[in-house]
Amino acid sequence: MAVGIVVVSHSPALARAVVDLALEMTPAGGPPVAIAAGGPGGVTGTDAMAVSEAIGRVGSPDGVLVLMDLGSAVLSAEMALEFLDDPDVPVRLTSAPFVEGLLAAVVTAAGGASLDAVEREARGALAPKATHLGTHDEPAEPAAPAPAATVTRDLTLINPVGMHARPAAMLVSALGGLDAAVTVANLRTGRPAATLSGTTALLTLDGRLGDTLRFGASGPDADEALTRIADLVGRGFDEMDLTAAAPAAAPAPEEAVPGDVHPAAHAGGPTAPGGGAPLGVSPGRGVGTVVHMPDPVTEPAPGPAVPDDQRAAEADRIDRSASAVADELRGRASRVDAEAKAILEANALIAEDRGVLDDARARVTGQGLAAAPAVWQAFTAIAEMFAAAGGVIAGRVADVQDVRNRVVAHLQGLPAPGVPVRTEPFVLVARDLAPADTALLDPAVCRALVTSEGGPTSHAAILARSLGLPAVVGAPAALDIPEGTLLLVDGGTGELVVDPSPELVAQVLAAPKAPEFDGDGVLADGTHVKLKANIGGTADAQRAAGAHAQGVGLFRTEFLFLDRGTPPTLDEQVAAYRGVLEAFPHDDVVIRTLDAGADKPLAFVGPQHEDNPALGVRGLRTSWRWPQVLADQLDAIAAAAAATGTRPWVMAPMVSTVAEAADFVALAKDRGIATAGVMVETPSAALLADDLLKVVDFISLGTNDLTQYTMAADRLSGELAALNDPWQPAVLRLLAQVGAAGRRAGVPVGVCGEAAGDPLLAVVLVGLGVTSLSMAPGLLGAVAAQLAALDRAACESAAHAALAAVDPAGARAAVRAALGL
Amino acid sequence: MAQDTVDLAALIAWLDSFRGYVTENRAYLTELDSAIGDADHGINMTRGMDAVFAKIKEAQDGGTPFATIDDLFKAVGMTMVTSVGGASGPLYGTFFLRMGRTAGTAETLDAAGLGAALRAGLDGVVARGKAEAGDKTMFDAMSPALDAYDAAVAGGADPAAAAQAASAAADAGRDATTPLVARKGRASYLGERSAGHLDPGATSTALLFQALAETLAA
Repeated sequence: MAVGIVVVSHSPALARAVVDLALEMTPAGGPPVAIAAGGPGGVTGTDAMAVSEAIGRVGSPDGVLVLMDLGSAVLSAEMALEFLDDPDVPVRLTSAPFVEGLLAAVVTAAGGASLDAVEREARGALAPKATHLGTHDEPAEPAAPAPAATVTRDLTLINPVGMHARPAAMLVSALGGLDAAVTVANLRTGRPAATLSGTTALLTLDGRLGDTLRFGASGPDADEALTRIADLVGRGFDEMDLTAAAPAAAPAPEEAVPGDVHPAAHAGGPTAPGGGAPLGVSPGRGVGTVVHMPDPVTEPAPGPAVPDDQRAAEADRIDRSASAVADELRGRASRVDAEAKAILEANALIAEDRGVLDDARARVTGQGLAAAPAVWQAFTAIAEMFAAAGGVIAGRVADVQDVRNRVVAHLQGLPAPGVPVRTEPFVLVARDLAPADTALLDPAVCRALVTSEGGPTSHAAILARSLGLPAVVGAPAALDIPEGTLLLVDGGTGELVVDPSPELVAQVLAAPKAPEFDGDGVLADGTHVKLKANIGGTADAQRAAGAHAQGVGLFRTEFLFLDRGTPPTLDEQVAAYRGVLEAFPHDDVVIRTLDAGADKPLAFVGPQHEDNPALGVRGLRTSWRWPQVLADQLDAIAAAAAATGTRPWVMAPMVSTVAEAADFVALAKDRGIATAGVMVETPSAALLADDLLKVVDFISLGTNDLTQYTMAADRLSGELAALNDPWQPAVLRLLAQVGAAGRRAGVPVGVCGEAAGDPLLAVVLVGLGVTSLSMAPGLLGAVAAQLAALDRAACESAAHAALAAVDPAGARAAVRAALGL
Repeated sequence: MAQDTVDLAALIAWLDSFRGYVTENRAYLTELDSAIGDADHGINMTRGMDAVFAKIKEAQDGGTPFATIDDLFKAVGMTMVTSVGGASGPLYGTFFLRMGRTAGTAETLDAAGLGAALRAGLDGVVARGKAEAGDKTMFDAMSPALDAYDAAVAGGADPAAAAQAASAAADAGRDATTPLVARKGRASYLGERSAGHLDPGATSTALLFQALAETLAA
């Protein structure tokens, strides 16, 4: 065992981020760390009971160190001590700084240090920063004087960045378990040797590239300690080698690969369905100056040879551009989550790789190539070598290409590829966006999105809706609007207004924004309707908790399974589910088991051709062919539930018969998962609702698929968009049947399709008997505000009005009339 | 009709009245908190008291009503701790837990007994929050309230009259927080800018004593 660490914070997102940051320091395995963050329902706050449970999860006779952020975190942690009943677990609250202290505590605890030593390192963790900034006071508790070394060794730092946090952590970890006292001094600064009891001593050394450090050691394992240190220093802490710094999993490319887009889209390229009129796909109005998505970088022409006397200067441009790109990547790394950060930092190292840059320089000085083509060729050669190597290394090809494109763009004075970074409000105009691009959009400054291509189900449209960002697709003319022009976008009507009048702009800016959701979905008469979030992973879950969602109504687990050659291991799955459950420690989280098949094939079971995949082996049906995949997933969910002390619900997708539902529920219950249900996505399931409700604990209406199957209209087809409307009378009547069945049985009925996030339709759904609505977190505020204005009777009369209509437009109008809107 | 003793039903009525007040003043408390804190006091207290009542109702409907004052306040305190979220959770939670511990297995309290329980609650708040007079916290309403209560009891007042005195003193203490500079909690990071605003914690504490006075007078 090791000393356990508990992190108490007002914010689950803050706690996860700081723990991720700390655990990066101990890639070989950190100490047990538990988080107690957020108040009830994921609100900002703390909960003493949760703190005491977290202490219980990581407690051992080695002790537990508790780090807190501020205010109630301290009070709750103190209170938690009163609830603890195991006298054999020493627990200590520390005033150590939250971020630096946690890093120091994790690294020191990972090395097997005592509670005293872990706390001392944590409390002293500000010293490196204070030394760096020149504000260092002598520590209140000076470390014990260094024992006389019996052996010493002088070692020179060869890694470019010198002694920073990661190498320090590697060194401390390497010494774990050895019986040796180690000291270290930097011969350049001449400061006295410090005892290496944690990372602090190393980080205050100011060890730079080329500095010689004198390590001394005494004790039985002194020689072994110095051998291990020499090995790490000699390897440059693995920072000399491109591939060693790579994350284990192949990251997704950050931008569209050249060739994915259609350069001819300006004139007559693919347009919106229905004849080319721009289509509003995400309601709301936004205004800002136009920023165009940069064109992808293509191979620069070799051009005429550079004259001999200019080659050295041309070659130097390469280093300057490469280092600017590395700086930019590191700057972005500081603003993203841990996973993206690791990728960006690894890419910065690629941009600084001496071997590749020297190769590029040689092509300039030797062959007279211009800098841009030289860089292109040098990086492309590396990319080809990586691709030929296969495996994990091949997974880095996209990263090498990304860095290459960035350096080339910088050399050519072009904007960096990818989503532009702006601090002022803007409207992004692009041909289309890849998922990786859209993930980088910041709704605080990007006020609207316009694409020349794409339809209502394009990535851009779905993401815009989830961010609550007004969006229009199928508007090729927008590509010709000059950068910097003021543009007003109406994502409801599809209207684009170039240079709008000041009055119009004022009107848009004055329009009330959807109020923030306060975490309590309630009708005017006090009836509670839980408003939850649809998510696809931990980052989503944290965003949803930040938006005060009352739980997760749909956790899509596909991301774990798609695009990979082997199924995810149990541990991988448990870790992924834990991340989500920890974001909602007090609320329901509904985990949907794998919804593969159809348009989401499972690569690891091999290609499975189906003529009609939407009607094929998908959803729960895949478990007929591969039962172990479902069994493993339920095992992992049960393990994650046990590890987090939460009680997630599980549900199966694409169920058609009562027997399927009963089998699924039995599988879940066999594993101790107490609450199991199914999605109602097929007309069959909707019509059988009364019978289904006898065997399940809850049902969740997937309105997107229910609409597509009821209307026999492919939801991916833009041409059939009018049919794929949940306001269609047949769909509403099926929803009514299911709602009524739920009421009769007293069983919760949720909706997790896009219908739940339409404020008007949400009213109808509640009137039909739905008890919870799950949606993109950005939509919670608008739906909550609409519901809060109405009582149950009003919702029911809206539902009656909708059911009496003969078409979607009539239904919407009737509901508006019934509500007096 | 004022009584010489306070029983479990009266204490539950007090809590119910307090819940009504924080619910009614939810937006106001949150607004006060938005000036100098994190804009959640009204929301947090409402959530906490709703949870308290769900707990009380569960006990009553489940056929296991609280037998002693300690049982009641232990449930109330623990529920506050786990359901409020902000610093008010541990503070009010400790207040009720200590009240319960002091009242022990009693089913009724006389004026002095209620005073002793309230005083123990205040001591708990001080131990938990380390607040002193003038720090611009709930202490600034609660401490004068209990001094007034004790003085009234010493003069022969019944619980209702003593609670009336406590409520008036709590209101005065609350109002006196306006010019103060916060020295505890998140408001303390605002320094001088925290002056000129009522303290939300002192405000909810004044509501607590107002609820007590009105309940016992009824």
